[in-house]
Formats: sequence, C-alpha cells, structure tokens
Amino acid sequence: MKNRVVVIGLGVISSIGIGKDDFFDALINGKSGISKVESFDVSSFDRKYGGEVKNFNPLDFMTSKETKNMGRASQLAIGSSSLAISDAGISLDELKKYRIAVLFGTTMGEANIIELLDKEWVKKGINYVDKFFVSRATANLLSVNVGLHFKFKGINIVIPTACAAGNYAISYGYDLVRNNEVDFVFAGGSDAFSRIAFIGFNRLYAMSPDICQPFDKNRKGMLLGEGSAVLILSSLELAKKLNFKIYAEVLGYGLSCDAHHMTIPSPTGIADCMRNALKNADIKPEEVDYISAHGTGTLQNDKNEASAIKSVFLDYYKKIPVSSIKSMLGHCMGAASSIEAVSCCLAVYKDIIPPTINYKTPDPECDIDCVPNQAIRKTVNIALNNAYAFGGNNSCVVFKKFKNG
Amino acid sequence: MDKIFITGLGVVSSIGIGKKDFWQGLKEAKSGVKDITLFDTSNLKVKKASYIENFKPEDLFDPKKLRTLDRTTKLLLYASKLALDDADLNIEDVNPKRIGISIGTTLGSIWSISKFDRDALIDGPHFVNPADFPNTVINSPASEVAIFFGITGPCSTISSAFSSSFDAIKYAINLLNNNHADIMIVGGVDAFCEQVYLSLYRAGFLAGLKGQELSCPFDKRRNGIIYGEGACVFILEKESLLRNSKKYAYIKSLEGLFFPFSITKYDREGRGLKEAIERAIIKEKILKEDISYILSCANSTELDLIETNVIKDVFGKLAYKIPVSSIKGSVGETFSASGALNLAASLGSFELDFIPPTINFLEKDSFCDLDYVFNKPRFCKINNILINSVGFNGDNFCLILSK
Repeated sequence: MKNRVVVIGLGVISSIGIGKDDFFDALINGKSGISKVESFDVSSFDRKYGGEVKNFNPLDFMTSKETKNMGRASQLAIGSSSLAISDAGISLDELKKYRIAVLFGTTMGEANIIELLDKEWVKKGINYVDKFFVSRATANLLSVNVGLHFKFKGINIVIPTACAAGNYAISYGYDLVRNNEVDFVFAGGSDAFSRIAFIGFNRLYAMSPDICQPFDKNRKGMLLGEGSAVLILSSLELAKKLNFKIYAEVLGYGLSCDAHHMTIPSPTGIADCMRNALKNADIKPEEVDYISAHGTGTLQNDKNEASAIKSVFLDYYKKIPVSSIKSMLGHCMGAASSIEAVSCCLAVYKDIIPPTINYKTPDPECDIDCVPNQAIRKTVNIALNNAYAFGGNNSCVVFKKFKNG
Repeated sequence: MDKIFITGLGVVSSIGIGKKDFWQGLKEAKSGVKDITLFDTSNLKVKKASYIENFKPEDLFDPKKLRTLDRTTKLLLYASKLALDDADLNIEDVNPKRIGISIGTTLGSIWSISKFDRDALIDGPHFVNPADFPNTVINSPASEVAIFFGITGPCSTISSAFSSSFDAIKYAINLLNNNHADIMIVGGVDAFCEQVYLSLYRAGFLAGLKGQELSCPFDKRRNGIIYGEGACVFILEKESLLRNSKKYAYIKSLEGLFFPFSITKYDREGRGLKEAIERAIIKEKILKEDISYILSCANSTELDLIETNVIKDVFGKLAYKIPVSSIKGSVGETFSASGALNLAASLGSFELDFIPPTINFLEKDSFCDLDYVFNKPRFCKINNILINSVGFNGDNFCLILSK
C-alpha cells in the first residue's frame, strides 16, 4: 500500500514577500519584485535590473556565528525552512522524532562565495584562497547547513538540476514519502543573486533591459531573481494524525531530458515531460485546471512551452489558464520551481490563479490563456508546475486539491 | 521488489582507464599518486595528488564537440561511453525515453564556475565566451551525457559530497522502482580542482603537512588525504526487464544517513555510519556471517579508526574474521567519485576473485586491529561485499553488493 502525499507546510522568501501570506497577496495583486541590482556593481553591464530580495535578514532565522560560516543560498534555505516549520505549526522537538529528508534544488549553489574568492584571486593570486572554501563554497552545503541548523538526521542531498531543481526535489520527496522511506520531506530550492549567472544570461543575450513579459509578442528576455521556498511533505495518514492543515496533495511527476542542447529548450522534450507527469499522476489532460508555466520571458522558451502545451492538451489548450509568475519575480533559478510550487499549492487551496503581469501584445505563437495582468478566481482541482533547465532537464509536478477519501 | 543489477561499468581512474586496467592496477597494488604538474606547487609544502594522466577523450569523441566542455564533463563522458559499451547497450536499439541518467558530482564544476567569473572580472562581462556559461551549472556533465548519446528519459544530478555516487544510485533505483525508467546510467565524477586542493591544504586536510605525503589507510603514519579525481559509471537494470545483459552483481541493500554533527569534522563515535550499516543489514535481513569482505572508506585520516571501531561495534567478534581493505591508498580521496570507484573495485573482486589491497602499509597502529588486506591482494571467493562511505559533512552510506 502506497502512502498518499500531502503538502503541510509552506515557506517562501521572495522579492515580493517573505512568508507565504505576503508572497501570495503580492502575487495575486500582480506586484513586481524587480528593481535595480544592488548586490554588485552593474555599471559595466548594459542590463541593470533583477529580482533581489531586499529585506531578508538572516539574523531573523539564525545566529550571527552561523551566518559567518555559510553563503547566502544556505541562509535563504534555512530561512524558508524555518518559515515552513512555523507554517506547519509543529515544534522542532516533535519534528525530530520522525524520519526526515532534506532535499534542496539549486542552480548556482554557493556561487556568492566563489565570486568573493574570484575577486581576491584576480587581485592577489590564487594563493590567497581561503581555508574555509571547501566548507562554504560547495553546492551540497545548502542541505547540509539546513540539516545542521535544525539537527535533522536522515536523508540530505542537493539536486543541482539548474532551473528545474526545485521540482526535482519535490518529485524525489514525493516518492520517498509515498514509499514510506521517510515521514517528512523538506523539499526546497534556493539560489542567491549571482554575479556569475548575471554575466552568463547577459552574455547569452537572454536578459531583458527592463521588465519580464512572458508570452507577450514583444518580450525581451528573462530577468534574474533570487529566493528560496520549501514545501513540507508528509503522508496523509501522518498529516491527519498530527492535525496538519493540508494545502494540496502531490499526485505525481514527470521528468524528461531534451538531449538536444545545453541552453536551447526543445518542445518535444517538455511535451514528453508533461505527458509523463499526467501518466504518473493518472489524470487526463482535460482534468488540468491550471498550469504554472516555466515562462521565462525569452523568445525561445515561451514559444516552445506554448507549442508543447498545445501538443499535449490538443483542442483543450486554450481553456487552461497558463501563467508565469516569473513576470513578477524574475527567474529565481533553482528556487524558481519551488516558489512556483508554493504558488500552485495556494492556487488549489484558495482557488485563485496568479496572473502573468506586463502582458500587452498577444503573440500568435503563444496563443494560450496566460491570465494577463489580473488574477482570476476559478476552482482549481489540478495544477501542473512546469520547470525546465539548462541541459534540457525537464520536470513537471502535479498538485491536486485535497479531498478526503 | 525487483532486484537491481549492474550490467555494465566504465572507469576512468588515476590507476587505470577501463575496467581491466583499473582492476589490474588494484591487483598490482599500483598507486595513482603523482607529483602535480597541472599547476605550480613550489610554494606549497605538499606536491602530490592522485590525478589522471594520459586521458585522451578525443580518442572516443569528435574533438570539435569536446571543445567547450570542462574536465569533469569529459571524464564523465568517457566513463559513460565505456559503461554503455561494456553493457552492450546501443541507444538506437532501445527506447531512449526509458533510459535515465543519475550522476553524483560536487566539486568538479567549481573550476568552471570560477574560471568564467574570473574571465569576466579580467576582460569585462561582455567579453566572456558564452559557450563557457553552461559549464557553470552543476548538472552540465550529466546533461552532456544525455546530449552525446541521445538519452531522453529523466536526467538528474546529485550533490552530497562523499555520498554523491551512492545518493545518485539510490535516486536511480527509486526511478526504476517507480517506473520512471527501465535502465539507468548512474555514477559519480569529480575532477581535480585547484581551489579545492588549496583549500584542503590550508585547512590541514592533506597528507604531507604533518607527516609523510602518502595515503596509507590504517597505518600509524597516516596524516591526511591525498586528493584525487575520477569518474565511474554503471548501467543499472531491473531484473524483470534485463536484456541479455551480463550480470556483474546486484544491489542487495543501500542505506544512507546524514548525521548532523559538523561541517568539516568526522563524528569520532561514527554514529551515522553505525546506524547506516545496521539499517542496511536489518532492512534486507542479511546475516552478518554472509558478509565476505568490507570495502572501507578509510582515507588515511582519523576516519580509519572511526570506521574500524564502528565495524567492531556492529559485527562484534565477527569483525576480526572479515577482511577489510581501502583502495584510497591507490586512487586517493575522490569525493563524489569515491563511492562509485569502490563499487567498481567490488565488481572486480567478484569477477577476478580477489580483495584489492590497502597499499602503503608499513607501521602498525595498535588500535586498528582488524583483518586488513595490506599491500598485496588476497585471492578468495567473495559473495557479499559491504561498502562504506563517510564524509566530513555528516554524510554516511552503506551499500551491500551481492554476486
């Protein structure tokens, strides 16, 4: 007998709000988190905007000694995990009696630490490399730091499948709970605003000079963001036993790989991924009420995603609202799909679908219903969370409104 | 539940490339440790690493396609090609959507990430090569394997330092058991990285700072790790869907446990490892008497004694009757590849009926008093191998492999 898997706690740190309530309020009000980049000097760039989290204070969540020993991505991960624990309303002592998996997705890992070192290196030579480098710069530390902070014994891994990583963490967590290997999963994603990523996207000419306009005919590219989100998963049985609020049920997931190009997505790969997810969750295309799009706002991504949705949902595709909250947050890389998963859980919980903001001109190549500019009220029984990544690592997670029986 | 079989392997190690050379290297007690020529060590007190020489990826792949790839990716591609060939698995003959990839890697891409950044700092952000950017994402090596071989099933990358290989295997088994794939390409890779080397040096982890510069697990003179690199890939298949494949072994039990202790220190009591081994044994109802050999993760540090004590704790009197050895004297500490290299060594033990030796043994440590196989291989029949993995971040794993 397999367990049913439910979401019982949500934590999010984003440029539009910290904590799930502020975050979702901002989402349905179409608030933008985009501002002039402040975390490093952008004077030598022709692009200046990004979605930085300006009011995150790590000391709200950990001691100053801890903050000194870790990078920002780990701090964000601990922050969103703390928020998720408070949201679930369980004490740490109680939680630690159970088997716990900490799974974090990321794109850049602790790139901020590497960036600091690079500056020193360029100035003074590599011999100044810090002895703490291995204990602060490697990507695996995101989950290790969360595990150490809360003293969670159990499974602890980072899944660095770039911009789809948050979904990968939820997918693996879903199987671990479903197969009764653990009791609780902290499925998260975390990425700090990174100079390296900013340089890279800028150089790929993928970045917009001002706003992010997914699915708009005149879209000019993506914007870089940062943030972190965590979903706490448990079995339905345990959730009932401990009287948790249930936001949504996880029904299944699909993964696929384009095997095509490191940076150019393929419509076939992402269509396969959605089909795999529907099959794994055992639902029909017409049962889907909402798709949270990967929707980065680049010409290529949005066109490919729209065409993949068409090929999977056929005649039905125009009836499904498909929105991209990256229009508000920018692309938070490894955290993007976990933040979007929080949005999906709240959409099925509250029956409200967040909009794609900055939408002005329809694009015949993206003729989906992108929920332009205004949130809509609609019963959402099933929501799909799409996330694609560099390397063609595609993922799609299926959430369902929780019903007993 | 279906048994999961290993039906192919590809090894790229400092003691040999390809399974035959690797196994032969182990048998001959060869060492892959050499003086570093990759960068200048004249200011350092240590000079050695276990890195791979004579690695020529252009022998197997079109050099044009390799041009922008980093070393981690090339090592992994090479090992993957060897594994696919070894398993006689031609992607054109099977449904590529049902084949998945799960690779453990942690440290290797740091070099590429930093290089890209430094290029931008020196030349200006508009003059970096955009083709170098994909190397900065940690899932790049696994994704390149998918691209090179046309594999369109799930493609995943796992980072959990020393446990990466085994976590990647656990992840792959999960996909097989839950019907997301029929065949999985799994393994681990970490390429030599100068920053990591220097950081390990300054943090005092490397051998040679407080004694002789060599990796000598369980020897009294042990004083630190020799940093190494490697790539190792396996093909995993479910018993019910086996092609006409060669069956090297099956994974009997696999248990990992993160034990929160410290970010850079081993737990002296080895509590995480102890629990991982006990769980692995209990879960599959394995008789302790049936373990014919323990492939240790001892890396010539305090870990050697910690592991020794855990083995005694778990096995009691029986501990003294089970041969134990570590190959890290030969291949060094290869981080994300270490678990996979141990697994590759185990397959050699099954195939060639030998226990690979713990090399460089000279001085006995009275606290390390198990039946270690030192300096020369021991020839005997082996049925079940218990492989340990412990990292200084708190990660622990135990894998039990059966013939």
